[in-house]
Amino acid sequence: MTTSTTGVFDTSAPWSLSEQVSLRDESFGALAYHHGNRRLVFLKSPELVALVRRLDEFESVDDAVEAVAPAHERGRYTGALRSLHRSGMLRGR
Amino acid sequence: EVEGVEELLVEEV
Repeated sequence: MTTSTTGVFDTSAPWSLSEQVSLRDESFGALAYHHGNRRLVFLKSPELVALVRRLDEFESVDDAVEAVAPAHERGRYTGALRSLHRSGMLRGR
Repeated sequence: EVEGVEELLVEEV
């Protein structure tokens, strides 16, 4: 299991929002700011914000997506999490 | 004479 924020994003593994990231709720979803790499990311759906906030409740990203994301958009939401991982917003547990 | 837009869920600046 990796604790890195870089490398392969294994969706069968548990991930969480990095402790270096602050989320600010907005009407469109939320802003995520990483205090380490100074990246600012727009999360453009409330469902994605809920998914990101609840990642640490699940033993894998796949489980989290299945429980929280709209059923017909699971692939899209997994892709969004992959983008967040690329930006360093997520950390492995 | 016109036929489809998936909005990005994540945008980074």
